[in-house]
Order: sequence, then C-alpha cells, then structure tokens
Amino acid sequence: MIVGASLRALFRRRGRTSLALAGIAVSAALLLDMTMLASGLTASFGELLGSRGYALRATPKGILPFDSDATIRDADGVAARMAAVPGVTRVARVLGAQMWRMDARGAAEPLFTVGIDRTAQFLYTLTAGADPGAGEVLVSEPMARTDGLRVGDRVRLATGMDASLGRARDLRDYRVSGIGDFVYNYAGQRSLAMELGEVRRLTGRPNEASLMAVAGAPGVSDDSLARRITAAVPAVSTYSTRELMGEMDKRLLYFRQMATILGSIAVVVTALLVSTIVTIGVRERFGEIATLRAVGVARRRILAGIVAEGVALATIGCALGLPLGLWMAGRLDTILRAFPGLPARLSFFAWDAGRVSLAMGTVALIGALAGCIPGWGAVRSPLGQALREEAE
Amino acid sequence: MLTLLAVAAALGGGLPQMLVERRLAEAVPLHVGDTVSVRPLASGAALRPFVVAGVFERPADPSRISRNEFEVRLHLPDLQAMLPATDRVDRFAVVLAPGADPSPAARWIAGVAFGTAVFGSRDLAEESSSTFRVVSRFHHAIGIVTILASGIFLLCVMTIRVDERRRDMATLRLVGVSRATVFRAIVLEAIAIAVLGSAAGAGVGIVGARIVNAYYAHVYDTTLRFALVTPRIVLLAALLGLGLGAAAGALAAWRVVNVPPQRLGER
Repeated sequence: MIVGASLRALFRRRGRTSLALAGIAVSAALLLDMTMLASGLTASFGELLGSRGYALRATPKGILPFDSDATIRDADGVAARMAAVPGVTRVARVLGAQMWRMDARGAAEPLFTVGIDRTAQFLYTLTAGADPGAGEVLVSEPMARTDGLRVGDRVRLATGMDASLGRARDLRDYRVSGIGDFVYNYAGQRSLAMELGEVRRLTGRPNEASLMAVAGAPGVSDDSLARRITAAVPAVSTYSTRELMGEMDKRLLYFRQMATILGSIAVVVTALLVSTIVTIGVRERFGEIATLRAVGVARRRILAGIVAEGVALATIGCALGLPLGLWMAGRLDTILRAFPGLPARLSFFAWDAGRVSLAMGTVALIGALAGCIPGWGAVRSPLGQALREEAE
Repeated sequence: MLTLLAVAAALGGGLPQMLVERRLAEAVPLHVGDTVSVRPLASGAALRPFVVAGVFERPADPSRISRNEFEVRLHLPDLQAMLPATDRVDRFAVVLAPGADPSPAARWIAGVAFGTAVFGSRDLAEESSSTFRVVSRFHHAIGIVTILASGIFLLCVMTIRVDERRRDMATLRLVGVSRATVFRAIVLEAIAIAVLGSAAGAGVGIVGARIVNAYYAHVYDTTLRFALVTPRIVLLAALLGLGLGAAAGALAAWRVVNVPPQRLGER
C-alpha cells in the first residue's frame, strides 16, 4: 500500500515526471548505444571471420592479413603441411594482387584482385555464374552493377603499367565467369577474383600466397589448433578468430574507451535526474511521510516506497530508452560504416543481450540508490521537527 | 667508452646506415652506432646489417595512430636492394616552382608517366582525411544527443524550481506584479543557471581534454592532441546553453503565468 501510494505520488506531477522520464530515456538510449558500441565491431568482425567456416588465418610471419605486400613462400608446401595437422579439415590459399582494367579509350582503373583456390574459397558468395577458371574472372556485385557486366562478357585487364613505354603490361581479355558478393569488401568496392594459378602466373609469384584460411574439425578448439599449426609450420603466423578480434580491439581502442566515457556520462545524468525528481518528491511529501511515521508505519516500508519511486522512474525510462537507443544505434552505425576500407558487412553496434541487460540493470540500480538517499534522510529526520515544519 | 669505440669501428666498416624511430629505439633499446640486422618480410632475403645513424621523432600523424607501428628509414637504394622488385617506388613527392599551378602540373605528369595517379597536396589531404570526417560526423551525432539530454534536464530542473515556488509566484501576482515580469524573472533565472552550468561545463571540458590528451599521449606515445577546447567551441557551448536555458525558462514560465494566481497556491 505504501509503495502504491509512493508510485501514485510520482505521477501526481505528470509534467515533471514525463520530463524526467524523457531525460532518463535519452540517457538510457545513449548508455545502450555505448554498450553496443563497446564490443560491437569486434563481435561483428568475429562473426565475419568465421562466417564461411574458416576460423583460422595464416599469414607471413609477424603480420596481420593483408597488412603488407609480404607473402608466404612455398605456399603449396605450407598448405600441405597445415592440412596434415590433426584437426584441420580445409586450407584455402589466397594471393592478393593489383590488376588494371583498361577501357576502350585506354584509361586504366586499378582493381584489387584475389587469386583463389576454386575448391576452397571463403572470400565471396556466388550470386551469378560460376567460380573463375583459366582465362576467366569473377567481378564484384558493385562493379557488375555500375558497368553493366554480365556472365559471359569480356573485360580487358593488365598486370601493370609501364610508365616509361607508356603502355599496359600483359594486356589480355578475360571472360566474366560469375558475379560475387565479396564478404570483406567495403561498400561499393570494385574488385576481382581469379583462379590462383592465373594470378600467380601473371604476377610472377609461382608458389606464393598472401594469406591462408584454415577450417578446423567440429569440436576442435581454434586456439589449440592455431598452436598446433604454429608448431608444425613455424614460418607463418597463425591467428585464431579470438586473436584477430583482439588485434581489432587494439586498433579500435579509441571507440571502446569513448563508449566507456559516454556510457559513464549517461549513467551520471540518469542518476542526477532520478535523484532530483525523487528528492523533490520526498521534500514535497515530507509532512505526509512524517504523518505516516507518526501513525506507526515502519520506516522500512516508507523507505521501500521511496526506493520504488526511483526504481520505477529508472525502469520506465529504460523501457522508453530501449527503442530510442536501437533507432539511434542504426543511425550512428550508418555514419560509422562510412569508414574507408572497412568491410560493408561490419557493424559497429551489436546486440548482446547479456551486456544490454547489465546496462539496463545498472540504470535500475541507480534508480534504487537515487531513491535511497532522500528516502533515508526523510525517515531518519526527527519526527517532531518534521511535523512542526509541515504545520508551519 | 667501449661502446663509442665499437661505434667508430662500425661506422668505419662501411655498413649502410639507417634511422630509427625514437619509440623503437627506446623499446629495443637502440643507440646511435649500434648495428642491427634487417630483413624485409616481403622477401626471403637474408638478414642485412645496418648501422643506426640517428634517431628520429615521427611526425604526429592521426591517420597512422590506430596501427601505430614502429618505423625505420633506409636509403632508397638499400631498401630496393632487399626487395624482390628493384627500381620501384610507391610514390614520388614533387616540389613545384613558387607560384606554379599544381593542377596543370599534375595533368602533365599523369600524361607523361603512364599509369600513375597524381594528386595535389590539398586533394591528398582531403582523400586521407575521410576517416576523420566520419569520426567528426559521429561526434556531431553524439553531441546532438547530449544537447537533447541536457535540454530535457534543464527543462526538468526549471519546472521543479518553478513548481517549488508556486506560492511565491501567486503572492507576487496577487500584489500586482504582472505576468510579463514573472515570466521574465523565470526566464532570466533559467538563463543564469544555464550560463553558470555552461561555465562549469567549459571548465570540466578543459580539464577533461587535458586528461584525455595526457592519457592518449601515454597510450600511443604521441604528441597528437585528441581533444581540443578552442574558444569557438566554448562560445558555441555558451550560446547553446543560453538558448537552451531561455527555452527551458520560457516553457516553465508559460506553465505558471497561465494559471490564475488563486490556483497557484493549491497543492
């Protein structure tokens, strides 16, 4: 009954309570967004890495995938040794290169090209046609769309530009074998995939790979498999998804810390709002509280009623802030996904039920604490003085 | 002394020289005159000895801060000799004669050196700063949310303050003080609160920026400044505070002056 009366008192001043709820909702929305941002990109990156079943990446010793032009030498031998490691089910080799697409006017457009192993590739999903074979090329969806390319069309490619002679090197026509949705491409990226042997031949790197992806057997731990591969093939660095996510985390330290700072500010603002509203409400009902105490209502019950006000404010604010926060996360994600060079499929904001529940639970706890402070003051004040002040 | 003798011997030995970034020199540690073995990752070349000829401080470049790798500087022929493709460079930097227009010069170079892309330094800066434009847009969006929350908070505080003094307002109105005067008094009070809050906020911002810069200078070992509180930002914040204060005061006052004074005293 006391709790019910406290909650009714809260909504007696509808304008004020509505404003407080709006403020708490905005703060809770900001806190939700910062919670989603703190781990969102790393989680999204982890999902992307494992999306095609290849949980490990092997690179030239000491570097991260495609961080430099360095390549793995004797790549076929390395791949064979990796495949022999117990627990490894597939090894995919990739060689990155730059090709130039020549148009009819002789203008050249540089295009990032990957050489892939047709039997084990993880970089794209076919949307039309087939994987590229000898004399064929697969184009990315944005490139097919903007250039009107279809399966069976021909594109003219060169392996380089000879600045002194003023002409393209190794100019050759390739048949478009298919169109692919490249998993790691940034939005609108124009890129190509060719058969690994073709890229090796064109770039004069007969037995090299920029990167290898390794798929493990079900139930085999990525980390232990990475350790076994490193022991078997010490010439390469093998990273599990967790390790790559850790590297990503280091590079995005700024966002994680900014999320922490802004989230903390949101918590402080929420605490201020709830405590202000509850404190004012308690002061206005000082006489009412004193009367309840005078007629024998236990302090504990009165305090519970005031704490319930704080919790109710914070909880309703959270409930209102949740959809607002999700909407804001979508808008902020659109802004951040314009980062140059980031895969279009990455998302900066990821829903993590555990973390979101923790954040919202924190807000509710703050509401309870914000209710405790004025409530404690009201129930501990001398009863006679409180009644006299109210009478005056 | 022994180290100095060893340096003299190394320099006299004709080994190629290199410069080492200060952070790397501190991390290893390395000193001028030390001999280090270098091998490029991009080739299977053997280790090659170099003499540390100097230590340099990398210019503060925000575009490289996320990777923040150590750097060394070699003479171009020494580096080319270690790489699989010789006689190759990533880029040229061209200095034009004073007053020369970069655009036609860029077109001429692109026409002569087939397959190259030529950029003016301004275009290049524009191109390489796209990351920071995104971060800036994100900060603006967060700023708008913060302003919204502050505005609501201020309005809430003003409403509470006005509600607390309804009886005083009623008395003022009953003794003949006009609605306009009451309205102005409330708005002025709200503006004063907002201005005081903005001033305190600017102080917190300046201290916060110093803490942020000191923290990131330690994390990244850089002279870059991550947070700047400029007079323009302070002025903008003050104006926003003033505007929000006036708006919050006006809304709170409107609620009071539209109620008959006899009813203002009601609980």
